[in-house]
Amino acid sequence: MTFWEEFLPALFKGVLTTLEMLAIAAPASVALGILLGTLRVYGGRIASLIATAVVVMFRGFPLLVTLLLLFFGLADLRIYLTPFWAAVLGFILCSGSYQSEYVRGAIRSIDIGQSLAAKAIGMTKLQEVMYIILPQAIRRALPGISNEIIYMIKYSSLAFVVGVQEMFAVGKHFNSIYFRPIEIFLTLAAIYLVMTTAATIFFKWLEYKLRIPGIEMGV
Amino acid sequence: MGGDVVLRVEDLHKSYGKLKVLKGVSFEVRRGETKVIAGPSGVGKSTLLRCINLLTKPDRGRIWLEDVEITRPGVDINKIRQRIGFVFQEFNLFHHLKVIDNVMIGLTKVKKLPKKKAFERAKEALLTVYITEDLWYKYPAQLSGGQRQRVAIARALAMDPVIILYDEPTSALDPQLVGEVLQVMKELARKGVTGLVVTHEIGFALEVADELMFMYDGRIIERGPPKEIVFNPKHEVTKKFFEKVGRLYGERK
Repeated sequence: MTFWEEFLPALFKGVLTTLEMLAIAAPASVALGILLGTLRVYGGRIASLIATAVVVMFRGFPLLVTLLLLFFGLADLRIYLTPFWAAVLGFILCSGSYQSEYVRGAIRSIDIGQSLAAKAIGMTKLQEVMYIILPQAIRRALPGISNEIIYMIKYSSLAFVVGVQEMFAVGKHFNSIYFRPIEIFLTLAAIYLVMTTAATIFFKWLEYKLRIPGIEMGV
Repeated sequence: MGGDVVLRVEDLHKSYGKLKVLKGVSFEVRRGETKVIAGPSGVGKSTLLRCINLLTKPDRGRIWLEDVEITRPGVDINKIRQRIGFVFQEFNLFHHLKVIDNVMIGLTKVKKLPKKKAFERAKEALLTVYITEDLWYKYPAQLSGGQRQRVAIARALAMDPVIILYDEPTSALDPQLVGEVLQVMKELARKGVTGLVVTHEIGFALEVADELMFMYDGRIIERGPPKEIVFNPKHEVTKKFFEKVGRLYGERK
């Protein structure tokens, strides 16, 4: 078997694993980002304190350390995560914490009149946030969120440290056997580039789709 | 007029730090009446309106809406606000919602009406303020200021409020757009929609107000039939104010 005949099928499996992690972690991190960002602005004292603590922690830890803590650290406490789920959880916590800052900033940029008008028709705080504030804030946070998702695509390669057989791990493994770094890592780079480009296009499309006619959102 | 009292404000006080904004304001509004509050800026008119629908909490004094004292602790503020319409100077339409949804959202989410019923009610309210079907599916940013304010009035009206509070509803509008908003407000007043209006539009007060209250320095210093207050004020401040405002707004219908 030639190198390519062996490498490509293995890489294909690795790419699928990477995509699988991202398919779970990306939407979940957006949800977490929205939740944390919202709690920090609208949560009561305790909820906003907890949200702040989560953000400070997972934005402060290097992702590498977070991943090792989730996999090996938790295992020490007899909480056993598979490599796959430890990695996914790490990505969600790290990216969600970053994204929450974009969401928080976006919420704070919504003019106070929107909140007053929501209250004036009798909305509860929860209704105000769900129907008036967040739909507008999330639109404004999208460029930042898209940035974080692109980061996530790239740092998904860190999952190899806890033993996930994702595309980078496959590449690294093959390089240690065949030592063909140019072919292997350029192939990986090209695949990551395709993924990040696809994400960029997707978010552009989303921004366009969610634009509010009459208001220029720079799309 | 002389219907039952729907809004009673008694000895309202409000301070921001050391600044006393309201220093004991009392008045009543009966069902079907339109009352106008006028006065220089910074004398507490907007604060007064915001206290009435509890967007601002008064420090002292009591407010009744129909027979419920809304300043009593433990009152469900959201329930009260559903029954008080509020029209803002800056319109404050929900930017991300189409015109029809701006009017419907309070009906579906707050009043929990079924969609169909809410749509019918929203339609009716929009037509009352002359917002025709071609505008229903546009976004606020695509409308003129006058249209936006009329949609805002429809949003308040659709909730079938006991009273509508207007906070300088025409002050943010270009002069040529003021007329269409005032026209709608006058028609509502004549139809018996109860209103409390903070405005500098003397013409509006003269035409439809049952009473004009002049506010100065946190108090209502003069009140009575609009003609009397505008043309025969007792206080020096009131006289000066209407001379000035009259020059600016007087000739407008």
